[in-house]
Amino acid sequence: MPTFKLDGQDIPFESGDTIIRAAWREGVEIPHYCWHPGLSVAANCRMCLVEIRSGRQMALPILKWDEKKKEYVPATKPKLQPACQITASEDMEVYAKSDHALKAQETTQEFLLLNHPIDCPICDQAGECKLQDYWLTSQRKLKRKKTERVHKPKTVSFGPTIVYDAERCIMCTRCIRFCDEVAKDHVLDMRERGNTNEIVVSQGRELDNDYTLMTEHVCPVGALTSKDFRFKARVWFLKSSPGVCTGCATGCNTWVDHDPRYQRVYRLRPRDNPEVNQYWMCDDGMMTYKRFHEDRIITGRVRTPSRAGDKIDEITRAESVVAAARTLRSAGSKAAVVLSAQHSSEDNFVLVQLARELFETDRFYLSARADWKGDDILRNADANPNRAGAQAVCPSKPESLAQLVKDVAAGDVDAVLSLGPASDVELGSLTGWHVNLTANAGPLTSKATVVVPVATPAECSGTFVNAEGHAAHFKKAITAPGGIEPAWLTLVEIGRELGWKPNFERLGQVRAAMPKALPAGDATEDTAAAPA
Amino acid sequence: MEPHYEALGDEQTLDLPTEPMRLNMGPSHPAMHGTIRMVLDLDGESIVDLDLQPGYLHRGFEKSCERGTWSQVFPYVDRLNYVSPMLNNVGFALAVEKLIGLEVPERCTYYRTVLGELARMSDHITCNGAAAMELGAFTPFLWLIKVRDWIWDILEQETGARLTHSFGRIGGMAAPPTDGFRESTLAIFDEIDHVMMESEALLMKNRIFLDRTQQIGNLSQEDAIAMGCTGVILRSTGVDYDVRKANPYMFYDRFDFDVPIGHDGDNYDRFVCRFEEMRQSMRIIRQALDQMPTSGSVVSEDLRYVLPNKSDVYDSIEGTIAHFKLVMEGIKVPPGEVYSFTEGGNGELGFFIVSDGSGTPYRVRVRPPCWYNLQACRDMLIGDMIADIIPTFGSINMIGGECDR
Amino acid sequence: MSKKVIKRLKSEFGDAILATSDFRGDFEARVAKKTWKKVALFLRDELQMNHIIDITAVDYPEREPELPRFEMKLIVRSMSTNDRVRIAAHLADGEKIDSLTDVWRGANWAEREIFDMFGISFNGHPDQRRILMYEEFEGHPLRKDYPIGKAQPLVPYRDVSGTEKIAPFGAEEGQPWGRIDWAARLADGDVQVSPSISQQTGGRKALSTGPETSPLAEQEE
Repeated sequence: MPTFKLDGQDIPFESGDTIIRAAWREGVEIPHYCWHPGLSVAANCRMCLVEIRSGRQMALPILKWDEKKKEYVPATKPKLQPACQITASEDMEVYAKSDHALKAQETTQEFLLLNHPIDCPICDQAGECKLQDYWLTSQRKLKRKKTERVHKPKTVSFGPTIVYDAERCIMCTRCIRFCDEVAKDHVLDMRERGNTNEIVVSQGRELDNDYTLMTEHVCPVGALTSKDFRFKARVWFLKSSPGVCTGCATGCNTWVDHDPRYQRVYRLRPRDNPEVNQYWMCDDGMMTYKRFHEDRIITGRVRTPSRAGDKIDEITRAESVVAAARTLRSAGSKAAVVLSAQHSSEDNFVLVQLARELFETDRFYLSARADWKGDDILRNADANPNRAGAQAVCPSKPESLAQLVKDVAAGDVDAVLSLGPASDVELGSLTGWHVNLTANAGPLTSKATVVVPVATPAECSGTFVNAEGHAAHFKKAITAPGGIEPAWLTLVEIGRELGWKPNFERLGQVRAAMPKALPAGDATEDTAAAPA
Repeated sequence: MEPHYEALGDEQTLDLPTEPMRLNMGPSHPAMHGTIRMVLDLDGESIVDLDLQPGYLHRGFEKSCERGTWSQVFPYVDRLNYVSPMLNNVGFALAVEKLIGLEVPERCTYYRTVLGELARMSDHITCNGAAAMELGAFTPFLWLIKVRDWIWDILEQETGARLTHSFGRIGGMAAPPTDGFRESTLAIFDEIDHVMMESEALLMKNRIFLDRTQQIGNLSQEDAIAMGCTGVILRSTGVDYDVRKANPYMFYDRFDFDVPIGHDGDNYDRFVCRFEEMRQSMRIIRQALDQMPTSGSVVSEDLRYVLPNKSDVYDSIEGTIAHFKLVMEGIKVPPGEVYSFTEGGNGELGFFIVSDGSGTPYRVRVRPPCWYNLQACRDMLIGDMIADIIPTFGSINMIGGECDR
Repeated sequence: MSKKVIKRLKSEFGDAILATSDFRGDFEARVAKKTWKKVALFLRDELQMNHIIDITAVDYPEREPELPRFEMKLIVRSMSTNDRVRIAAHLADGEKIDSLTDVWRGANWAEREIFDMFGISFNGHPDQRRILMYEEFEGHPLRKDYPIGKAQPLVPYRDVSGTEKIAPFGAEEGQPWGRIDWAARLADGDVQVSPSISQQTGGRKALSTGPETSPLAEQEE
């Protein structure tokens, strides 16, 4: 591969790469604000200016302050080029750490902070703010301006999800370019000039497309903040686990940001994966983190129908496992097993094994959420993360829940063991013995006679297979409350009560037993790029 | 009347037990400064063998340091040798600055020297005063404590606290010297001289004191060196080793001072060495105060390591960011490991610090001078009697905080 | 000034000196653990490094499995020439290293502390037992996988044979203040200070005689 030299280090590059992109691929960071690997080049922040000593150099005549003579004397300095715009070529010699480049970074940083508000204590970006990081590495001095700074509108509500603060904005235009190029919705633009610049929403519109939270994600400073996450948590208390979005069959890779002290997930962030979601996620996907904590089933439930109305008793998880086993004691070949397109492949696989080895039934159905609005950017119309995975572990193609309702009504099914809360049809007449393993409340759960709580995808590890057949692993982030275990382990416990003795103590054993036809884990599972 | 067994005649002497008696001189004991347990094997009153058991004041200092940032170590370090906390502060600050390669202004170094020597004086006063009191001499103890209180008044005027100041900072000190620093320090020195002379007059020719400290608790030179002893313990045996002279740090090579050496390694030598060291400390302080610049900053200018002025923090974004980064993420000490040593109150106080490049210390190992001195205490005591434990143990100045950490 | 120490070490031991470094004026030589004692004896006998300064260890668990987890450090100096040197050695978990107590007597307590804090055992140490922690302590605190907030099991009062020792405080002995359930006491209207007196006079039962006999426990039966 052709290489060029960056500060003496050989950096390989592909044809057409800019200097900064080639360096980024190698893991070498040239300070920048406005460049983003997923967006076009704007070169307006001027932070990535580097000295290129090969080829024909341009020198600029300048006046330099001479300390001894106490006056300005003529001198030259090389014209620095933005690394995000210059295409790399063979044998180029680039210096991002030379004196001129460092001085340029220092002065650029000083300009950017010239009118910046003193918001660090209340700004959500504190702790992951590029201005803070680059101040420490590049500037390290106080500014030289003594006059009052420019004031601009603060807390401008751009739309239902985003708040804009013009004083914090450094006009990098990442948000504008994102909306134009990725969300394909030209709704943001820049207004005025010079130091009265600000970002505005188009007249008569709001920032309300399906990817608004990504503008907050690309914003390198705290100018754009998410109304959902504002003031909820300080980022240095949050740890990130690699996860997969449970919103739809695209399976965008995520970082699950949680606070280990409170064992709560506070937000999701996109995890870079060039093959699945590039660098982005949609708003609904970002909001799926709420499912980890809202409408949770944390205790077991037993529903006893009576003439006066159903009585629902809450029992402990251990008792619910025993109750579930009791309910399924006489389940046989007429038992129906409902796989879940919302649960991991390992959960579904263990359920299939339980069904075949213990009940010896082949009646498989699939519970899933109803389709939602897809688009051609990221969202898949199928609102379930693992339909492909559930189908892959099932020996036959699972039927829909509508078919299950019919089969129960016809008397072909005498017991139901189901996974997951979701349903894409009306379940009005689903009666009979029904054990449901779920993490959240949902339509299928409300029809169950015994409900056993299981862990959400934030509380256990597993695999989701997306609509294209990519399998992605997600890792456990927080510990489930009340001793709740993942669904596959809960099924093993229920099976044990009924005399089933599988060799599934650890997740590794489940994964080793899963059919080889299942696509192997995504290579980017643990090597996803560090959060930007 | 003769003892009853003599009356029985030689053939019928009573059967007295002859194996050594085991006696516990437990951690809660007025003479065991800072909780040391001694399990003594006694033959009558003589000590045949002795098992020293430290550790009753172990607070997990080294583990606690790995939990915060580099600046958050200063309150922990104070509580190591808690009778001379300023020396610990300075020692740790010098260790981190050595690892970073950070220079501090001259005024800061002089300031650290003066405060450190004041702390050394207060350490030696406490040790000698307490040693004398335990032998029954209450009066010199109170006189010396009076002097110590004057020293603490100066330290309170400078740092805000009498004992655990947490005044050192990486890259400087927490605050500049007050206006009356030089005058108030020099003002007490004549009185200190006078009180010391009076205390010595009461003790140095006192038959009881001499009998109880001379030739008691002897330690030979070879033993002291092999045991790793440093400080007054080592110098009292006749070895001329003082870190300030052998490996001068700060500006000790600019000062003219002597190092008192004993020759027997007994309690008396240690006692006298300490008094003499106090006089040398006063010499150093006088010279340092003369040489110290009267104006200038006491902190380095480098905002990577030193907090900015509060007015800048509130008025400018750069100050806020600097403050934020230093407090939330900690000082980013470059990765590496270094061993830095100074002359603490009891000997060579070393800090072996390992940094992994983040703001949290990876390992902070304190080389406590008392640890090795206490090991030598066993050698000093075997052969002596129980009553000799009191002056001997008092003379090694075992500070529990430093020994057990 | 300590460079010549490193040079002498290299000329004497050759390849047994695995690495040397000079960082901020500290001279360090790394050896394998089997040469640890040989190097120590050489330093003491040939280079007059008779003054032991410190022995310590550092725990790098993330280095495993490529490199052993512990790193031993020995710092010595010479009284006559004022030279200093630091010797390092890698040590894996569970491996033992030679004790240096017969090279320098001061190593005794330093090695006991390393055993206590890290769990590293020393071959030939005369008295390897815990020094800072009590005997019944479980674990080795300075290891990185020992969480700082870990609770230790409560140690029952030691059973020392050959004496008539009894626990200093039975449930009804000693000062009662820490054991009084004030809320229950006041709710009942009994403001008697010492439960013992009340019990002696045949009044209310002692509130805290242990979980097996607590009146609260009885209520739940």
